[in-house]
Parts: sequence; C-alpha cells; structure tokens
Amino acid sequence: MTPLPDSLLEAVASAAVREGLADAVFTRLNTPIGKLLVVQGPEGIARIGFEEEPEDALLAGVAAELGPRVVASDRELAAARDAISSYLEGDASVLDLPVDLRFVHAPFRRAVLETLHDTVRRGEVVTYGKLAERSGNPRAFRAAATACARNPVPLVVPCHRVLPSTGGIGNYGGGVARKRVLLELEGAL
Amino acid sequence: MTANAPALPPFWSLVEAHGDELLAHARRVAGPEHAEDVLQDAFLRALRAYPRLRHGEHLRAWLYRVTTTAAIDAHRSRPRERPVAEPPEVGVSDDVDADGAFEALIAPLPEAAREPLRLRFVEDLDYDHIAGRLGCTPQAARQRVSTAVRTLRERHAA
Repeated sequence: MTPLPDSLLEAVASAAVREGLADAVFTRLNTPIGKLLVVQGPEGIARIGFEEEPEDALLAGVAAELGPRVVASDRELAAARDAISSYLEGDASVLDLPVDLRFVHAPFRRAVLETLHDTVRRGEVVTYGKLAERSGNPRAFRAAATACARNPVPLVVPCHRVLPSTGGIGNYGGGVARKRVLLELEGAL
Repeated sequence: MTANAPALPPFWSLVEAHGDELLAHARRVAGPEHAEDVLQDAFLRALRAYPRLRHGEHLRAWLYRVTTTAAIDAHRSRPRERPVAEPPEVGVSDDVDADGAFEALIAPLPEAAREPLRLRFVEDLDYDHIAGRLGCTPQAARQRVSTAVRTLRERHAA
C-alpha cells in the first residue's frame, strides 16, 4: 500500500489550522536530550512530553483537555521547533515561548508555574520555598514542589531550575540526569 | 456521550492508523489522479464533523464513508472535458444524500456490477462479507468489485 505522503498530511493540518478546525497541534522533535513531543494549544505551548512518556496516553490527555481535533504539523510549529532545538543545542541563550497552562487546574499550582516562567531566567536557580513565596504563599513549598513535579510544559516552564533548599539537585519529571544536563547547559552547575 | 461509550481519540491517531488504507480506498473510488485531493478534502470534512460524533466507535468505517462521499462530490463537481453519456438525472440534485449520488454515479452499470459496488462502498463491507452476500468466494467478490470499479471509471472517462 502506498504510504500517505507527508505533503498531504501537512496540507490537511495547515488547512485545519487556517479554518480554525484544530483544537491542538503537535510535532515530534529530535533533540540532544531525546525525542520530544510538543503540543500547541490555543494560547501557546500546552504540553511537552519526554520520550519515556507513551505518546498514545499523552495525546489522549490532550484530546480530553483541549478537544479531539488534534493534528500534527511540523510546519505550523516551525517557530517552536526552531526555538527548542536552538536552545538545547546551545545556539540560543533563551527559550522564550508563550505557554498555555490550561492543563493546570489548581490555581496555586498555576500561579507557581506562571511565576517560574516569568521570573527565573537562564543560569538562575530557585528553591521550592522561595518559589512558593514569590507565588504568594511562603509556607506552600510542598505545593510548589507538586506544581513542578506535574509541570505539563517542562523546558518552557523551567522547573529544572528549582532545587531543594537541603542541597543536591532534587527530582525532575524527566529524570535527574536530564535536569543535570539542562543545568550544565545553562551554566548553573 | 453515554458513560460506556469510548471517548473520541485524538483525530490524528486515526489519520496515522488508517491514512494509508484510506488513500488506497480514495484511489479505488476516485482514480489515482484525484485520490490525494479527495482524501485531503475527506480529512477536512471529517475534522469539521468530528466533535459532533456522539462516541468513538466505528471510526474507521466512518472515515471510509466520508472518503467515498468526498469522491462522489468531487466527481460531480468536476467539469467534464468531453460529452459523456450522462447518468439519469433522477436523484442528482444538490440536496440529494450521498447514497442517492452514489446510485446516480453507478446507474450506467448493469445491476450485476452495481450490487458489489454498493456492498463495498455504501455498506463498507469487507470482501468476506461481500462474498457472503453475493454467494461467491472472497476472491470472486474482490474480482467483481474491481471489475465494476474499472468499468465505472472507463464509462466516466469515455
């Protein structure tokens, strides 16, 4: 059977985006830290999955949260692809992409991720306690840690820059090895 | 959506799972030169309708039907380069449903060719089931559908 040409798939996805028929657009990307699946929602990047996360489950979650009209397009997400690749390959110093945090339902966790996205730059690190304080509740460091652990958009919302006050580099949703690579890339370690 | 009905899967997982066979289907019903345009149109029609589906069952068969309908509409809207023996005008109007349009499309053929085409493209049966309905072997059913498609295409290209 003749496989479906990529050009046809791209044409369908582009037309879908143009006509407002796409609830979400995703792309698969090879990077120095492994394959990533990047999902764009209505307002920005809504979900990034590392290669260990099963794609079917991730996309089913996207359909449930954003709507079932999920399409794939490298072309529609070209800017995000370039930005993420350049950042992880060390060619760009900042990764500045709009985020769509509608996967995060709890208001405080959302506030934590917004604060992290807006205030902790490359090369900087912050403790969970400090992040909780900046987000409006100094005592909620556990909630801040939960927010980071469940961050739907790692890299773009830089939860790898959050460290425990007790020392060490702590945990990371994408694995501690990746956290270390990212912090070294940014010169924070 | 009822509690037991499966949720709608991400649309693109259907495209990736069934796209190749749908392209083959589009080639059969629309001809190789129009297959990609027809399938692209079919995917966009399916996307428009997708959120209104009540459950996530029989989606493959549904995509086959959408593709068949897109092929029929493309055929009807295509300007004819040369005069051809027109199928009867009965049922060929803008508000006709897809099956009516399909009947008009296959009207020039003898009934012995029309029946396998209906079973394949309207009822969307596989060749085992078509064989059961026609009382022949699956191989013979495949042959009859294929011959009827070829005859139909020759009629319309004539």
